[in-house]
Amino acid sequence: MTRNLSSESVFTKNDLAKYPFLKETARYLSPLDLQIEDFITPSMSPILDCAMERATSAIISLTVRPLINEQGNKYVIKDIEKEIISFPVALMLVSATENSLIKKRYALAEAKQATSELNSESKDFVYKIALDFGWRITFTPTDSTFEFALHFSDFLQNASHLHDVKWKLVNSKLSEGKVYLNKRDVVRLLQEEIKRRIEKRLVTVSVGKYPSEISELADKLKVIASENIGQTETEFPKVVVQEAFPPCINMLYAAASKNHHLSHMGRFALTSFLVNIGMSPESVTELFRSFSDYNERLTRYQVEHIAGARGSGTKYTCPQCSILQTHNVCKNRDDLCKRIYHPLKYYKIKSEMAQPNTPEKTETTTNE
Amino acid sequence: MSVSSRDYVYSKFQEFYNDPSTVISSPTNFEQREFAYLMFKERFMVRHRRFENMQTFKNVLARNVPSDVYHSCTYYENPDLEMDKKGWIGSDLVFDIDADHIPTACGKIHDEWICQKCEFSGKGVTPEECPICGGDKFSVKTWACDVCIESTRVETAKLIDMLTKDFGFADDEIRVFFSGHRGYHVHVEDEVVRSLDALSRKEIVDYVIGLGLSILERDVNEKAVKGRKRVVATKKFNLHDYGWNRRLKVGMAKFLSTVTAEDLKSFGLKNNNLFKNKDAILSRAIEGGRWDSISGVSVATWLKLAEQVKSLESANIDTVVTTDIHRLIRMNGTLHGKTGLLKVEFPIRQLDTFDPLTHAVAFKKGTAKVLIYDAPKFRLGGATWGPYKNVKVVLPTAAAIMLILKGRAEVVNDV
Repeated sequence: MTRNLSSESVFTKNDLAKYPFLKETARYLSPLDLQIEDFITPSMSPILDCAMERATSAIISLTVRPLINEQGNKYVIKDIEKEIISFPVALMLVSATENSLIKKRYALAEAKQATSELNSESKDFVYKIALDFGWRITFTPTDSTFEFALHFSDFLQNASHLHDVKWKLVNSKLSEGKVYLNKRDVVRLLQEEIKRRIEKRLVTVSVGKYPSEISELADKLKVIASENIGQTETEFPKVVVQEAFPPCINMLYAAASKNHHLSHMGRFALTSFLVNIGMSPESVTELFRSFSDYNERLTRYQVEHIAGARGSGTKYTCPQCSILQTHNVCKNRDDLCKRIYHPLKYYKIKSEMAQPNTPEKTETTTNE
Repeated sequence: MSVSSRDYVYSKFQEFYNDPSTVISSPTNFEQREFAYLMFKERFMVRHRRFENMQTFKNVLARNVPSDVYHSCTYYENPDLEMDKKGWIGSDLVFDIDADHIPTACGKIHDEWICQKCEFSGKGVTPEECPICGGDKFSVKTWACDVCIESTRVETAKLIDMLTKDFGFADDEIRVFFSGHRGYHVHVEDEVVRSLDALSRKEIVDYVIGLGLSILERDVNEKAVKGRKRVVATKKFNLHDYGWNRRLKVGMAKFLSTVTAEDLKSFGLKNNNLFKNKDAILSRAIEGGRWDSISGVSVATWLKLAEQVKSLESANIDTVVTTDIHRLIRMNGTLHGKTGLLKVEFPIRQLDTFDPLTHAVAFKKGTAKVLIYDAPKFRLGGATWGPYKNVKVVLPTAAAIMLILKGRAEVVNDV
């Protein structure tokens, strides 16, 4: 199975093996016209094994292949062809688990692997990868302190998900629409882009019904995941622990209880927080009953909408801390606030600290 | 508002929307926009409408006579379906600068608030709580004075400076409008911003308001401590030539070259060395980058100064409007239901000279007799009127409509 790359390709086959998420990989593989049934034929079993190894390693150690070999030298991919094909097959296996946590972890592992590889690539190569994602990126003049200039919109789509203050646009080197960056920063932003592309593919690759051989392997991955990455959903205490509310929510809750006016964002933050920690929509509606502009039908509708019982059926999550800061809802930050990025995380940590074994004692509001 | 006043204003709005010479320009990608309007008399919002073209929409406005007309900043596949079925394509980047959200030099002394609980009333900025009964719901009669509008113009100018110099938009990629009340709208419709998600737009908002600005550089030095080499991190004040750092430098230079020693004190900058070493700061620190060369000025003082300059240089915008990717915005060329003035667009280079209180006047003909309860001196359509207190006056239509809509006057039918 030796085939050649298209004449326009800017990448080598080895590149595609290292960075199989590139658009070029799909072009390279398309003549093979691989179907899901092909993978369960005996001749393909080495590829299936390789893909299984890839997914397993991703789940357990967040890498898909070693960077250095046993002798301590740079790891060299031996069977390039097998390595390339193992990627779409691994996508299929991961997708077949139908487990969002595994999918996320797999995408993160692939992205992290690529980041580690990219950090030792040349600046020209990193540029080529950025172009594969359609980034508006240019090299800076040689006398510049920075290596790249990236359009702010491409910067934002990736940096806005990162928590370190250095990634905030307000702290960036922005000028005339471009953010000036060094190679390491560009690679870090590419990690986000790669992760997103793979997450997207894990959604679209889903075919619904898999051959039993594939389902069995997917089940194996699920077992590996449950053994290695623990619980799948964030669990909150069964009762509402008011003492564990973050300061912002406390203020909103107190204001709502005293019939004080809440901004739209404040009301949304409070409602979505309470619904997410497990308060019933009825109890939340009850809280707003004292408002002088209270309209039972409208309030119930809004609360149920946020809880996901209406409209699109999506349960709205509470806005993260940085959003509450922008809209001036974040107030009285305390020490714990400085360590977390989300009010629900604050609640999770503090509720666990507040009541390690005795949930009844701190119960304040029933969770119906 | 009395029935006859309402009928009078309604008839004028009706004339406006039925006048063939009324020009309402079409928003870009007309067929992908959601349209909405507030019914003048019935006071309900008609939403989720889509129209084939501007002419059909104008016919609807002429027939229905709304008090306020909006379109989505968003482009949808199906703008007329319910929210989660519309199919979001993209959204303009929109900024709203409104005197409601800005502390103004006039102190909003012309605004009147009445506590809904105990009916206690006062003038100026609406308090958080009623001083008499502690209630926190008020009905407010606002007013748009020259100072209010000027304050919003200054904020708009700072925003536009960021959009051009930092975000790199050309003048013709930025559309500026007087909102029709007491503020400005700034729209960027460029392809590159349309697909930005809410989180990215929040980052743009944080940039404009200077939120999360963190200046100190970690200066990592290897130092020998007790004979052993250790990495010691110190925090150093330094500013580079990009983004907010550049803005702070320019702002500091501007601030220090005009500030008096008393001003500095009133800003909480009590360190005398800032004033004494003004020239050295300008040349050695701001120009030369040697921030640690100014004697008696510590990192903490630099930070305080930077904080003060940041508050002067940031632009005060409504944070919710820009981050909302499904926002409705008032339509250019339509009337504002609180003033009877138009939302009007003008070239960005005219921001300094454009006079909204002249150019946003929609009703240029005729007069009306009104009984004015209370109105400050005001300027409209090139003339100055008032102040008035409990008098019957014949005013040009635009002035009469504004006073009625602002709850300051009622029409008198004995003309």
